[in-house]
Amino acid sequence: MEKIDRLDWTAKFSLKSYGVRIGIRSNQPNGLELVRPHLPHQHELVDLPVVDRLYSIVVAGKNVRSNARRLNLLYADEETIARSRKLDDVLERLESDLRLFVAEVARHRVFVHAGVVGWKGKAIVIPGRSYSGKSTLVSELVRAGATYYSDEYAVFDARGRVYPFPKPLEMRSEGAFKQTKVEVTRLGGRTGSKPLPVGLVVVSQYKSGARWRPREISNGQAVLALLANTVSARRDPDKALGALQKGVATARSLKSVRGDAEVIAQLLLAMLEKNR
Amino acid sequence: MKQNVGGRFPRARTEGLVIQELPDEVLVYDRERDKAHCLNQTAALVWKYCDGKSTVPSIAKRLEQDLKTETVDEKVVWYALGQLSKDHLLEENVTPPALLSGMSRRDMVRVLGLAAVVAVPVVTSIVAPTPAQAATCLGSGSPCTGGVQCCSGICNTGSCA
Repeated sequence: MEKIDRLDWTAKFSLKSYGVRIGIRSNQPNGLELVRPHLPHQHELVDLPVVDRLYSIVVAGKNVRSNARRLNLLYADEETIARSRKLDDVLERLESDLRLFVAEVARHRVFVHAGVVGWKGKAIVIPGRSYSGKSTLVSELVRAGATYYSDEYAVFDARGRVYPFPKPLEMRSEGAFKQTKVEVTRLGGRTGSKPLPVGLVVVSQYKSGARWRPREISNGQAVLALLANTVSARRDPDKALGALQKGVATARSLKSVRGDAEVIAQLLLAMLEKNR
Repeated sequence: MKQNVGGRFPRARTEGLVIQELPDEVLVYDRERDKAHCLNQTAALVWKYCDGKSTVPSIAKRLEQDLKTETVDEKVVWYALGQLSKDHLLEENVTPPALLSGMSRRDMVRVLGLAAVVAVPVVTSIVAPTPAQAATCLGSGSPCTGGVQCCSGICNTGSCA
């Protein structure tokens, strides 16, 4: 760390997101402007003497002697986590690492990798990893009238209520790796602002041509399905299990493979309405 | 872990576990192995009765009382002990009688048949994810086009390191 500390840092600032203290420094005076679009959606810039993680961004200049471009570098504390000739790659890495770190160590919230929408005062939570089709299903639910909460994290409090994590949806076209950011307003939807109790947990994986044949799973099974996608599961299982257990206590939980998201979206909304 | 051949007095493990009780189930998180288990009611009751003093017949008797049913077959208790032991939820390994060892849930249902008066004990388990596994990024070996997509941050010749 000492070696990195000796570099010439011209821009330094700190922020708090979900109670997590982050420091960022850069060798460029416009460091904050560079980084701002990549900060977590919920944060406040504050002066902090101590941080939980310090990011250091070295923006490459031209090597005067060889005229070759140097590498842009990103450190998380003393560890190099990105090096690239493209600054955008380094900034995107900062964004994803920062988001993951906040999700892991957030003090009063439990982050579950899941899609979430709100419908008539209840949340539909769809836990799942990348490529499970969460964003597609969330976008169809929003098109069908549901309120957008997140396509990445279901953020639970200790009482089991779900908060919005309203970043733009990240959609992949079939077979592609690269995601495109889509604002929820482009889908004709709106973003939720209040925490909601969970009404429906949908444990589902997209499979081309699959038939939707949901079966009820117990609350315990639903907690396991959520825990399997919980960022802080290993760090603080006590907190995670407590919040998730409360979250599913009043919910119905279903499991099935699914095909076309448009049809399922309508069925889910109808199901939640029937359960009210 | 010690071997309790015959499993005469099984004892539930308590160290290194986070336990949450639900109305009809018990959730157990094993901090040593980073595994989470969901015990259905029958498995949870058998686990509860594993106090290091009760034998298999006495556990079966207590099950009958708690569930207010007729005779509970000892096979049910043995089957639960086998699962609990496999998942390291007992202080000592229990070896079920040869007849029952390696029996699947389906086999158990068949053996008990209509005589079963309680639900077959079931322990469902998952391995808790690391933060990166639970996040939106690609795991090791996944195809990629750039380091940003990978949890490791390194995309090496089209696959995540």
